[in-house]
Amino acid sequence: MWKFIVRRLIITMPQIVVLSLFVFILASLMPGDALSGQIDPNISRDAIDEMRERLGMNDPWYIQYKDWVVGAVQGDFGDSFRFKMPVTDLIWGRIINTFWLSLVSVIFIYAIGLPLGIISGRYNDRLIDQVITGYTYLGFATPLFIFALVTLWVFGFHFGWFPTGGSVAPGLEPGSMEYILSKLHHLLLPGLSIALIGVVGTVQYLRSEIIDTKQKDFILLARAKGAPESRVYNRHIFRNSVLPIAAFFGYEITMLISGSVFVERIYSYPGMGNLFIESILLRDYSVVTALVLLFGLAAIIGALLSDIILSIVDPRIRIK
Amino acid sequence: MSKSLWGKYLFVLMLALFLVLAACGGDDTGDGETDEDPGDTTEETDDPDDDGDEPDDDPVDPEDQIYDVSDFDTAVSNDGEPIDGGDVTFGLVSDTVFEGTLNWNFYQGNPDSQIIQFFDEALLSMDENYTYTQDGAATYEADQDANTITFTIRDDVQWHDGEELTAEDWVYSYEVIAHPDYTGIRWGTPGFTLIEGIDEYREGNTDSIPGIEIHDEKSFTIQYERLTPSLLTGGVWTYALPKHVFEDIPVAEMEESDAVREEPIGIGPFVVDSIVPGESVSMVKNENYWRGEPNLDTLTVKVVNPNVVVQELETGGVDIVSSFPTDQYPENADMSNVEFLADIDLAYTYIGFKLGHWDEDAGEVVYEPENMKMGNKNLRKAMWHAVDNDSVGEQFYNGLRWSGTTLIVPSHPDYHDDSIEAPSYDPDEANRLLDEAGYEDIDGDGLREDPDGEELVINFASMSGGDVAEPIANYYMQAWEAVGLNVELVDGRLLEFNSFYDRVEADDPEIDIYQGAWGVGSDVDPSGLYGRNAAFNYPRYASEENDRLLEEGISDEAFDVEYRQEVYSEWQELMVEEIPVFPTLYRALMLPANDRIVNYDIAPGSGVYWYELGVTEDEPVVAE
Repeated sequence: MWKFIVRRLIITMPQIVVLSLFVFILASLMPGDALSGQIDPNISRDAIDEMRERLGMNDPWYIQYKDWVVGAVQGDFGDSFRFKMPVTDLIWGRIINTFWLSLVSVIFIYAIGLPLGIISGRYNDRLIDQVITGYTYLGFATPLFIFALVTLWVFGFHFGWFPTGGSVAPGLEPGSMEYILSKLHHLLLPGLSIALIGVVGTVQYLRSEIIDTKQKDFILLARAKGAPESRVYNRHIFRNSVLPIAAFFGYEITMLISGSVFVERIYSYPGMGNLFIESILLRDYSVVTALVLLFGLAAIIGALLSDIILSIVDPRIRIK
Repeated sequence: MSKSLWGKYLFVLMLALFLVLAACGGDDTGDGETDEDPGDTTEETDDPDDDGDEPDDDPVDPEDQIYDVSDFDTAVSNDGEPIDGGDVTFGLVSDTVFEGTLNWNFYQGNPDSQIIQFFDEALLSMDENYTYTQDGAATYEADQDANTITFTIRDDVQWHDGEELTAEDWVYSYEVIAHPDYTGIRWGTPGFTLIEGIDEYREGNTDSIPGIEIHDEKSFTIQYERLTPSLLTGGVWTYALPKHVFEDIPVAEMEESDAVREEPIGIGPFVVDSIVPGESVSMVKNENYWRGEPNLDTLTVKVVNPNVVVQELETGGVDIVSSFPTDQYPENADMSNVEFLADIDLAYTYIGFKLGHWDEDAGEVVYEPENMKMGNKNLRKAMWHAVDNDSVGEQFYNGLRWSGTTLIVPSHPDYHDDSIEAPSYDPDEANRLLDEAGYEDIDGDGLREDPDGEELVINFASMSGGDVAEPIANYYMQAWEAVGLNVELVDGRLLEFNSFYDRVEADDPEIDIYQGAWGVGSDVDPSGLYGRNAAFNYPRYASEENDRLLEEGISDEAFDVEYRQEVYSEWQELMVEEIPVFPTLYRALMLPANDRIVNYDIAPGSGVYWYELGVTEDEPVVAE
């Protein structure tokens, strides 16, 4: 097991190096840079040229890359051109926001998805199953960015039950109870939007697995032994059906940091997804490269986590 | 494999193909207006817009209604007595977060300046022509013979922490900006470079700037190499930096310090209370504000996405905003709880002709019309005559943009010369001019050849962004085709903002003409955009007459406003004759305000200040 993990981690290293190199080259090919927005007759052109020079934007990409790697190894990803602050501080500020948002949505996903999936699988082809499946089809068909806009309009603006943007109400003392509640209040609507759409996969997987498992011989045996129906479902069927979801769980954790670009943008939520898009649009390269690296790392670790979780849940595929 | 199974496979394959193709088709879900205002003003792109020209028989479809900026007021009509106190929310309309460099001396982006304006202010006020007046926190006296300006700060001006604002604080901002380690972008304008001995200071030879002499606590004199009127229309740096806060911070680290990001102070009517990075800033009133105690108790600035600004206004989530997407106005003109104000925006859209190239080493424009496709003046004039900009403004912008005439926008009322007759829509005249210049259709394909009989294809660069960018570009090309000119889009498509300016700036030979926009500064002097040494002179036009007029516009004599007006009239006339670029559209700036707001005027130099802002009701009025 440990050998496996270590081996996986070693393979990860070159992947990350290639990833970073790739990102760096592509970024340098993009037209414009962080200062091309500063075309303003009120600002002297010399000031901008000087700034380009000072920020090393005139150097060829391999020199920039070298500088960047030297810094990155020491945990210094440089300064954001736009925010004028260290990238690590910037990302840290955002990652917390995104973490809470994702956590809320993951909790919602499982809180909604598991019961729905179980009910739907257990009573398959009955009315309740058809309703749930109908919902999942609808969920598959609805793009998240439309759904989020609709929920924002209905529950945010029309009914006014939820705040419509930001992560916390202005003017509250950080750490106070009010502050925490306000944060939670701001998280509910976007979290729910993500969950209501994101849950459909979980429900579908669980349903089909349960239906599949129901017909297995060992279930027949369990029933023949006289196990009560609740035990058959909770112990025998559920555990065997949860495999594909467990496999997914690792990726869900990855999502905790990469966030959802759509929802964050629609709700003006200052998280990682929003930061990522903004820094691409404004050519804030140091942030882009750091983020891509982080996302890549998260994906790789997510895959690893999935494997590990799977091996815990399912002894059959435990790696020797 | 049985036949029915084949059928199934085929069905799945077709379905998959269908979906893939459908997905490739319509990909315009992203918000067209990405983010083009990282700087203040900068080049403007066209906003996303509903072109909505569905034919409709209803009496007046809001989308067909034509508006006129002069029908709007710049001040709210509510003249009730403000209640004591009150809380106002200011919507900072932006689809990005604000950066958080909350100091005039370091900020870069427009969103930040929208926040700073409430808690810090320029020491000199401006009038409607953006000329400094004597009603600000400081007064000035220019001595034209000695080339000096003496500034005197009023006695009752204090920083938020209770310290007196001194001459030293103001001079300190000069010392920081001119410091070699300074990290911002404010250095390099004549307001700094013209100061005597500033280079010595910049090179580190002196500890203070030799050309600045502090007389006492409240006054100092700056010795300039020469005085230009530009200094008094935005050239002088009018923002102080609290020395007692910053003096222990190395210049290079100032902009990331807490004094800029977390606990900024100023002299303005509101004091920053708390900041949620990137999202909102809460402020409370500054009881010691020098003009008087503000009406409001608190003011909150929060970022509002342009997509939801209408809803925020309707629900009273915000009272006033930093900007409002003009294209959303027609649909919301009858919003019941807000009043729309409008003024002429400091910006214009234009078509530019490439007439030369930029010589990087000499740092000047090389004007070579003889080598350029667009070098013929008649051709350029005909292209101006060929387009109907009033229709463009009415069709695409409901009249909230209208055809431009000269390169000085009417938002500078004293300098814009509306007596100049600019070429108007007249395709016959365009045809005549082209015939006269020898652009004739020789091979009979309906398109003109150039005077040498060679095929003429004009390459047109236009920026993407917004729904109307493409139809407008198409309209122009059709209008030019109607007079026999073959105009094609560079690369056959609209260019993305960054690559557009990269290529225009690099004088890409594939670009003959381009459509751009400028936000103009407070100073009317156009030499930053059209001077011989201006890198932003994208058409690369230069002439001795142009040099002379631009020079005279900032000369000693031009301190006389009438003289300056004359010079700039002449310059506007020259530009209409020479046509290195022609303005297509002027635009209206629209700002809504909740019905409970009083003492709010969006006109520059209106004499209504933020401390007077008040409300007549406790809660915002909500739309019915």
